[in-house]
Amino acid sequence: MKASTIVAPLVGAALLFGALGLVRRDVSAAAKRLADPELAQQEQGATAVASPSAAIADDAEAAYCTPEFKGVLQRVLHACGLVGGQERRGCQPADVKSFASISDEDFNALFTPLEKRGAIIMFDDNADKLDDGAKKVLDERWDDRKGARYFFVVSRASKTGGAELNRALSHRRANSVLFHLQEQTGHQGDEDLDKKVGMLWLGSEYAQLSKDYCQGWETSRPGKKCDAEAINRSAFVSWVDCRL
Amino acid sequence: MSAKRPIVPGLVGLLASSLGLFFSGFSTHDYAIQLDRQLHGAHCSFVPGLADATTGPNACSAAMTSPYSALLRDKLWGGVPIALFAVGLYVFFFAASLHLLLTRDEAGKRTWQTYGVAALTPLPVSVLMLTISLTKLDAICKLCAGLYVASLLLAIAGVLALVYAGGRKAKPAEGAAIDQGAATIPDAPPTGSWLSVPAQLAMLGLATITPAAIYVASVPDYRPYLSGCGKLEAPSDRQHALVKMKTSDPKQRAVSFEDPLCPTCKAFHQTLVTEGVYDKLDLSVALFPLDSDCNWMLDRPLHPGSCQLARAVLCGDKDGTARVVLEWAYEHQEQLREAGKSGVEALRKKILARFPDLDACLDAKETKQRLDKALQFAVANKVPVSTPQLYLGDRRLCDEDTDLGLRYAIGQIAPKVEQ
Repeated sequence: MKASTIVAPLVGAALLFGALGLVRRDVSAAAKRLADPELAQQEQGATAVASPSAAIADDAEAAYCTPEFKGVLQRVLHACGLVGGQERRGCQPADVKSFASISDEDFNALFTPLEKRGAIIMFDDNADKLDDGAKKVLDERWDDRKGARYFFVVSRASKTGGAELNRALSHRRANSVLFHLQEQTGHQGDEDLDKKVGMLWLGSEYAQLSKDYCQGWETSRPGKKCDAEAINRSAFVSWVDCRL
Repeated sequence: MSAKRPIVPGLVGLLASSLGLFFSGFSTHDYAIQLDRQLHGAHCSFVPGLADATTGPNACSAAMTSPYSALLRDKLWGGVPIALFAVGLYVFFFAASLHLLLTRDEAGKRTWQTYGVAALTPLPVSVLMLTISLTKLDAICKLCAGLYVASLLLAIAGVLALVYAGGRKAKPAEGAAIDQGAATIPDAPPTGSWLSVPAQLAMLGLATITPAAIYVASVPDYRPYLSGCGKLEAPSDRQHALVKMKTSDPKQRAVSFEDPLCPTCKAFHQTLVTEGVYDKLDLSVALFPLDSDCNWMLDRPLHPGSCQLARAVLCGDKDGTARVVLEWAYEHQEQLREAGKSGVEALRKKILARFPDLDACLDAKETKQRLDKALQFAVANKVPVSTPQLYLGDRRLCDEDTDLGLRYAIGQIAPKVEQ
């Protein structure tokens, strides 16, 4: 056999083996990087494009979510059963006094940033029934949830009457709000309502609102007489855009 | 003995094979490097060795991730790259061309004829791939173009080999009558054994298949990596936030998170449609615009105007045209992105010019609330703030498996789709 007839097959075989070696090397290297992603970053740092780790979808976090505000709300959530798997039970004045650990004024001041987000639902004297205006405002606020997770209801009673009576009255007012929301959402299968709505009933003992709240805040009775007594016959409602 | 056959077929064949080896080698390397499921650049140059691999969208990446770049993608993660067959094929033709060159006049006529016919075969494949590039991918990758040129040169070498297989035609003697015709030189090349035909074809087949066989044998087992990318924690759509897409043959329940102005969503949507996967999904889309105008999870708009487009898709759902609206948004994404940057009003005009019936619905309170609920669905399921995401059943298809490994991963996670 002439040498010229075997050169080409030999070159071909050598090329083929070389190509096979390169293919095997590339695949084996990829397999090693697959098994050890850190190695991949070291070895392929120049060419590999690191995939950025994305944040996890979460509730809204507004600028007003200061540590103090979140601290108080966190305690409300725990004490009121919204967090921790207990049944919702709400919080009464005595609870709030103890867990808030801040003065009445400071407590109210925490809610000031919610001026445009929330509303004050007003009630008649010694009454807990929502009128049409109250229902309309409440529905509007509820529908404007966006990225909030918790809806807070802070009900009060004016100083008229005894503390015991007012405590019960403010409790009934908070319940009126809750029952209305249950009515509105219950048929939509919103079974988590109890885990969304945080209720505090303050009676007339703690964190009374000043008549300044008649201005600036949306109330369910715009244009009606509003004084220090009337503004406390109320339930403040708002979604809270904080990750708690 | 005087040379009766020219060296040109062998030389052209060598040049063609060298080019083919060069480009198919880089193409295979770029493909194999992706087997670690990470993002890598691709060489997209006529001189790939001199230019670095480029990251981001380019014609070579598009060609590589297209369903036409590999075989058996449903059986093997990434499939077997077509370029790998080209490596073996051009190795064979390099050796065969060298053989023609070295054994010019001793080689049998059948050897030259077989070479000639075989050298023509890569050209139709290149024409097919070029047609696919132009009609399906709207781009020609430079590595592929290099392979097209190589196959054209090889075909020329093949034609020349066929022409000169029987020896060079003798020129008519000066002054001789033309009708005497051309006469071959008396000592014509040998015919050669008929065995040389199957032998050459067998070597061609062996050379072409062997790299692929080695590749298949070396590829790791990907199954353990497919299931670690999360799942939906609260998949039930109790608030009717998701949009059901109309598909022709829904077999597999799926949920996707999409942003109409996200280029990756557009590409992924097109891939699913092209691969024939989309129409086999019983798909609900959770609109997830990466626009801080409605999405509280962002502090700035990544895709300004996508909230408005997401609302348009939701409005389309009312009369069953959500898919039409979404696909229109993907089709015109670049113009819509520009319009979105100019302001919501400019985008709104474009939407209403195409879908005038959506006017009342676009800014309706109910539409905005439904979009909020879609975002709340994302929160409830603790999904990453990124698009696109596809959940087959409740299991998330890993981002790493959304291009090369798509068919394989879907086959493993949702075998119903592949049935």
